[in-house]
Amino acid sequence: MNSNRNERKGGVLTEVLALKNITKDYPGVKALDDVSISFEEGEVHALIGENGAGKSTFIKTISGAIKPTSGTIAYEGKEYPYLEPKQAIDMGIAVVYQELIQFEAMSVADNIFMGVESESKGLVVNEKERCEKAKALLAKFDCDVNPATLIRELSIANRQIIELAKAMVRNAKIVIMDEPTAAITVSEQEKLYQVVKQLKADGVTVIYISHRLEELFEICDRVSVLRDGQYVTTVNIEDIDKQDMIKYMVGRELSNAYPPKEPAQSEVVLEVENLSGNGVEGINFQLHKGEILGFAGLVGAGRTELMHLIFGNAKKTSGIIKVKGKEVHLSSANDGMKAGIGLIPEDRKFQGCFIDKPIFWNISISDIDHLTKGGVVDQKAEMKLAEDYKERLKIKTPFLKQLTSGLSGGNQQKVVIAKVLASNPDILIFDEPTRGIDIGARHEIYLLMNELAESGKSILMVSSDMEELLGMSERIIVLHEGHQAGEISKAEFSQERVLSFASGI
Amino acid sequence: MEKANKKSIGEILVDLSLPILLVALVIFFSIMTDKFFTPLNLTNILVQNVHVAVCSCAVMIIMISGGCDLSIGYQMSVAAVLVCKMMTVYGVPVPVALLCAVVLCSLLGTFNGFMAQKLKSNTMIVTLGTMAIFQGISYLISESKTYHNLPKSYMFLGQSKVFGVIPVNVIIMIVIVVIVGFVMGKTAIGRKVYAAGDNPEAGRLAGLNVAKIKVLSFTVAGVLVGISAILLSARSGSADSSTGVGIEFTGITACVLSGVALKGGEGTLWKVIVAVFVLGILANGMQLINLGTYPQYIAKGVIMLVSLYMTNKNSKAM
Ligand SMILES: Nc1ncnc2c1ncn2[C@@H]1O[C@H](COP(=O)(O)OP(=O)(O)OP(=O)(O)O)[C@@H](O)[C@H]1O
Ligand SMILES: [Mg+2]
Repeated sequence: MNSNRNERKGGVLTEVLALKNITKDYPGVKALDDVSISFEEGEVHALIGENGAGKSTFIKTISGAIKPTSGTIAYEGKEYPYLEPKQAIDMGIAVVYQELIQFEAMSVADNIFMGVESESKGLVVNEKERCEKAKALLAKFDCDVNPATLIRELSIANRQIIELAKAMVRNAKIVIMDEPTAAITVSEQEKLYQVVKQLKADGVTVIYISHRLEELFEICDRVSVLRDGQYVTTVNIEDIDKQDMIKYMVGRELSNAYPPKEPAQSEVVLEVENLSGNGVEGINFQLHKGEILGFAGLVGAGRTELMHLIFGNAKKTSGIIKVKGKEVHLSSANDGMKAGIGLIPEDRKFQGCFIDKPIFWNISISDIDHLTKGGVVDQKAEMKLAEDYKERLKIKTPFLKQLTSGLSGGNQQKVVIAKVLASNPDILIFDEPTRGIDIGARHEIYLLMNELAESGKSILMVSSDMEELLGMSERIIVLHEGHQAGEISKAEFSQERVLSFASGI
Repeated sequence: MEKANKKSIGEILVDLSLPILLVALVIFFSIMTDKFFTPLNLTNILVQNVHVAVCSCAVMIIMISGGCDLSIGYQMSVAAVLVCKMMTVYGVPVPVALLCAVVLCSLLGTFNGFMAQKLKSNTMIVTLGTMAIFQGISYLISESKTYHNLPKSYMFLGQSKVFGVIPVNVIIMIVIVVIVGFVMGKTAIGRKVYAAGDNPEAGRLAGLNVAKIKVLSFTVAGVLVGISAILLSARSGSADSSTGVGIEFTGITACVLSGVALKGGEGTLWKVIVAVFVLGILANGMQLINLGTYPQYIAKGVIMLVSLYMTNKNSKAM
């Protein structure tokens, strides 16, 4: 890697792609404001910035998903005012989008090969051959999903991996990854890093967007920073540390990644005894008032499945759930909400919110029964509620009537959290609470979680982000293949301990 | 945890729910009346539903591409009166007339798809409009007349039998079903139609020309509708402007019954065809056991709901 770096400094490598003076206007926001960044052959170039900084908009400009309002794109010596998706693909630009824009009802193989010319040249699709090719690609990520499986049956993590495989199959010259590690676990991250390094060795340019700043030091050569749609700087990775990155991103220094919190009270609010169903078996734990209880495990360990079971969104086959000492029988999410449980699901696009509805609509929907006057929705009260949560969670939007789909990923997540909080639950389940959320907003969410816990609410938190899990939880329960592999108390917290339980050792 | 690809017994049963329903209906009507399970009646059911099956292929293609076409009935009507008028009034040779009907319908279909793209509007609303246009065209052509005395070679398509047993139109239907099934299930272009309906945005980003694929689906569906119009008028030996009207609803019913997703991107041809014959057997059987028209409606609705419950497909697609 070092020799590579020296080469680049010596000016041997050439510029392949440059965006010049790109501006993108949306009604009410300048998503990009006169941004110019250039990319060199064979470099891994990170793009960082807070939620809504314009990172996704920037890469969508490169891939042709959107047309910039002004500016030009220079690729291999030619200049273009904008690109069409097809054009970008033919030029060798492949993208892993943040939002997983996929064919839900089609197979893994279909998703990987759709639109790939060499595949569709023949009249008849060679199912066997493409399945084998897909298998080989997925094997690079140690992913043994059957290529004939429908996408909608996969977990988010595996869907993410499918997108990566899709980018590989196109033999791209430029591979863009928008938060590829947001939803995958430590072991899969390692494989992703391997793939990135392999791509780099093959001379491919990788543009890498991530909120996990630590990982950038492992794989990147240079970092460019965006703030509020404007270009801040580009630096070599060895010339910058995490603190500086944050400073560039938020324009100020941030203290204390994981804020301190008052310890939990002794009162038990949730008891789970020998709970089985939905792919998990024999789960036992107690949740105390004001506690943040973390759940760790590898992909497929059944963490999300367990949460849905507790929420009532899946059927238990045996066992007991007690809320505040009383046994509850939950057979739907509605039951769960009535019992005072709220779920912030991992998949915000399909489960978390109504993406094509305005922000205020999303926030008020779970409490809409209380926002009426004689059965008619009281729009003033509704807007006020939305306004409150917008302030409290710092949702970044010009107006609350904006469609949720037009928000940046991190701000969408805040809307989901607001929506759940509006129904005023006592027990909150956070499934990957900061997935795709920048460091500043992440901090706000941590503060919010602590504040909620200190005000007497209790929290179950599933996270694949080890640091976050260790930083926020007071206890951690580790699942392995649907079973409870162990429980770790705060005094014994360590990454090794969690991982050894999680891998079933 | 991911589901293993092997289907569970439950899933296989869901897959087979329509064939099971079909067999159950056959057994039921055979017990109820001895007029049902006779070679004559069974052939009748087949022959009477040939045009419905071909038309349902068209409906399926459009629905998979993410559209819906309410004007299919009047497309058929236009094609039927045109082809019959050309032959009987102007003495146009049969092959030329056939070709005209098919080409005309493919143009009407293309028009539907094209307008939906141009107006950036829902295909259901667009075809609600074109339906009225086609209705007008049909009556302008037919002048509200009915055309009889169609040429022998034309009637051959609808009424004759190979070796005296296998109806020609049934053979035509089988050929069409096989071709459509092959194109939709096995070819790259078929895959693209599914993709365009499943998630147009993902399709666009994968470099597909989604608009073109959607318009083309309507064009191909138009061809099938034209053929369907020929098959129907050739069998009944006459045509007027009411020929084929309302058939889109039978087609949509069969599609929905078989699990074609309303939002596009999902559907299996053989199931659609089975669904067509479930509806066909139901109509025929209820006639034979002398059930009145109104109880027939109710039975139809109940069957529809029951089989939706069994396949559970559409609730999943929500
Ligand atoms: N389709 C759209 N319509 C309106 N505004 C939009 C649209 N897409 C993006 N924006 C706005 O543009 C800005 C930049 O968004 P973008 O998605 O590029 O941010 P990001 O840096 O990728 O954030 P994140 O880290 O949360 O993914 C945001 O303020 C967002 O609200
Ligand atoms: Mg983004």
